[in-house]
Amino acid sequence: MMNDKIKKRVMTLSLGILACMLAIYAAKGVQDPEEVRKQVIFIPKTLDKTNGFWTSLIEGAKLGAEEFNMDLEVVGGLSEEEVEEQIAYIKESIEKKPDVLLVAPCSYSETSDILKEAVDQGIHLVLIDSVIEEDISTAIVATDNYAAGKELGNYANSLLEDGKEVGIIAHVKGTSTAIEREAGIRKGLEDKSNKVKETVFCGSSYEKAYEQAKKMIEQNPKLGMIIGTNEYASVGAARAVKELKMSNKIKVVGFDNSIEEIKLLEEGVFQGIVIQKPFNMGYLGIKQANHIVEGKAIKKNTDSGCKLITEENLYEEENQKLLYPFIGQE
Amino acid sequence: MMKQCKKKQTLFGRFKTIQSTMMVSFTVLMVIAVVTFMVIAVHYTNNSIYENSVNYTTQIVQQVNYDIDSYMEFLENISYIVSRSGDVSNYLFNEKQSEQEKERERDRIIAQFQTIMDSRSDIYNIAAVAENGRSILNDGQARFTEYIDIYEESWYKQAMEKKGGMSISSSHVQNAIEDSYKWVITLSKALVNYNTGENEGVFFVDLNYRSISELCSNNKIGNKGYIFILDEEGKIVYHPKQQLLYGGLIHENISEIMLSKEDYFVSGENLYTLSKSYKTGWTVVGVVNTEELFKNNKKAESMYLIVSIVLLTGVLLISSVISKEITKPIRQLRDSMSMVEEGEFEKANVSITTQNEIGSLANSFNVMTEKIHTLMEQNMYEQRQKRKNEMKALQAQINPHFLYNTLDSIIWMSEAGRNDEVVLMTSALARLLRQSISNDREQVTIAEEVDYVKSYLTIQKMRYKDKLEYSIHVSPEISKVKIIKFALQPLVENAIYHGLKYKETRGNLIIRGYKEGEKAYIIIEDDGAGIPAEIKAHIFEERKKEKGRKGVGAPNVQKRLQLYYGPEYGLTYQDREGGGTVVVVTVPLTSRPDDER
Repeated sequence: MMNDKIKKRVMTLSLGILACMLAIYAAKGVQDPEEVRKQVIFIPKTLDKTNGFWTSLIEGAKLGAEEFNMDLEVVGGLSEEEVEEQIAYIKESIEKKPDVLLVAPCSYSETSDILKEAVDQGIHLVLIDSVIEEDISTAIVATDNYAAGKELGNYANSLLEDGKEVGIIAHVKGTSTAIEREAGIRKGLEDKSNKVKETVFCGSSYEKAYEQAKKMIEQNPKLGMIIGTNEYASVGAARAVKELKMSNKIKVVGFDNSIEEIKLLEEGVFQGIVIQKPFNMGYLGIKQANHIVEGKAIKKNTDSGCKLITEENLYEEENQKLLYPFIGQE
Repeated sequence: MMKQCKKKQTLFGRFKTIQSTMMVSFTVLMVIAVVTFMVIAVHYTNNSIYENSVNYTTQIVQQVNYDIDSYMEFLENISYIVSRSGDVSNYLFNEKQSEQEKERERDRIIAQFQTIMDSRSDIYNIAAVAENGRSILNDGQARFTEYIDIYEESWYKQAMEKKGGMSISSSHVQNAIEDSYKWVITLSKALVNYNTGENEGVFFVDLNYRSISELCSNNKIGNKGYIFILDEEGKIVYHPKQQLLYGGLIHENISEIMLSKEDYFVSGENLYTLSKSYKTGWTVVGVVNTEELFKNNKKAESMYLIVSIVLLTGVLLISSVISKEITKPIRQLRDSMSMVEEGEFEKANVSITTQNEIGSLANSFNVMTEKIHTLMEQNMYEQRQKRKNEMKALQAQINPHFLYNTLDSIIWMSEAGRNDEVVLMTSALARLLRQSISNDREQVTIAEEVDYVKSYLTIQKMRYKDKLEYSIHVSPEISKVKIIKFALQPLVENAIYHGLKYKETRGNLIIRGYKEGEKAYIIIEDDGAGIPAEIKAHIFEERKKEKGRKGVGAPNVQKRLQLYYGPEYGLTYQDREGGGTVVVVTVPLTSRPDDER
């Protein structure tokens, strides 16, 4: 009996010593467990390094990933036109089982199936810049085209001289961006929206837009303004006006951003362009992805914003970064 | 005494055992120690983390600033060489040169420019422009764009306003050159027309912005930290999140930085470390996310917590053992004491071998117990002796009156010639006397005691004839039960002399004995006069002074019975229904052996 008692005491004592040693061990041994970083794969429309819009967008996404502690992988083809290639990249990405898939779909309809597959596998889908025909994404980050159109329309309204008429050169008939931008423009024109005489579609071709603008100018002597709904349409129209030396009579406003556009703006052919904010778009895309994986409440649609650039504010500090991303600068 | 004790009940007095007192004290002390340690440790860790990161970022920021300065200095030197050579001024301002001379001068300058540009890939443009419209740019092929008024450009105006030395612009897009929109930092310097002595042109060098931005972006501070640069006016030269700033997606506290006189400060979640360069006028700012800084510390904190909990448990376990060990002799002592309290002296001896205070306490206790034990033994021995003496006295006391009366009766009977009765009475008397002196044991069996009473009653019956009638029914079950000697006879005597004697008619005396439970009962019942209430109340008090009483009888028997068997035994008096008295004698069935010492 006595033996038992001593045994018990020795047990307790050694248990105590063990606990102390455990404490020392814990103090030494506790290593911070590696933080589990969420995986995000971003598939932009193109990885083309000369494309300012997309490089800027990817840069924004990278910065966001850094800030929100996420692992970002950017994959994709070099051309916006290669839908099949993009579908292949999406397929490949699904197999890596990321937490979030950020996609800027090249096609409204053709990427739907593969993206649906991703969603079915429990991958969160965030659409960047463009949408698809099926409403399966968790979040969308894009420029609010209607708002952008409205801003441009407002500006056009202030420029349009009395009695003059307006022609719109839109890009591709039936695309959401073309429809939304045109609707926005008409809304922004307010009382002068009845001055819009015609809307033509250039199919995102400089040459066609140029021809259409030329035709418009020749056929309508009351024409006072041409509005382009994307870079091709705008530049095409501006080229025509410049070539016909009509820039004192016909004003040109448009969308998007390119060196040619800036030059034409400096030359006074363009009166204004509305540009998107790709860097912010990329950043916000990652921010949304982060909110999704952290289970925070999100707004489904995020407007990454746009900016009206005129000759006056062209060289303002804050617009320079928007207009001139570092493309290929060595 | 008790009151004082209660008042003195202190903090520790509340605990039931010394062990728990020690345990609780240990625990409290340990918790206080651990908590104090933790607070100090966490505070110290926080401070050192903060200081370290301030030091670290200060170093980085200063290094970046130093790099920028030395870079700028290097470029300035190049610029000075070109601008001071006189060639440029000559070309721009000397109206006397012929076209051919000018052409040659221009080629020379362009060759110089080219040499510089070839050796330095970070230089985008080198150019000089004068107010007179003359200019020279890079390789001579590039042209200024016609849509931009160079004289209105900020870098131009800055240089013109500055007396001597270089001006360094903020980062901007160089839009003055046709078909080129490059991010640059422009170093510009006014050129003096030696003819007029006035600043009439500007020489400038465009640096690749990337050479500055990379200095910053290559220096990472933690995961979320970054470096940015502000110019003298608080405009951003470089910021990794510039676009987000302009977009209003994030916010940077630039005004606070510009106003700050300290080299570092904390604003919101961020620690800002500043380094201002007097050369460029720029402020290099290092930003560290404090949350990230203290994230590791949070880990350290939780680790401290775990460690201290485990440590506490360990210490508690150990202390429970230690306190148990320390208090073990005390508990032994306490157990021994309670044994002494119960009178078990033999087992009470404490075997404590420790040499400390408790050891000497135990020794003292042992000595004391032994002394008390001896004293008690002595006391008991003396008590027993006294009892024996008393019994002897009692033995001696039976006699004179009774003997005299009995002998008187014998004489009277023999005179009357009643020889049979004389024989009977004399033999009863003889038996009585023999029984009373037969041995000096303290206890006899109930049978013996009853025999004695019988002898006594035989004599009394012969004396009182029809006035006394008695019967004895003692169960054989208890005949072997021990009872102290002379316990019954005095009671019977009392019944006769104080009860039956005063009765006119015949008196009855019944003695019964039986067993019930662990006790034996002997009941002596008479139907005599009974005992008056006031006497009955004091029946067991000795009334030595009372006249005619012998100081023996009930009190004596009661005292002896209770002394011998304990307080639950002895006599009880009851009134008998219809007059008379009932005395119940209770003794245990088994009593300790009669030790005759």
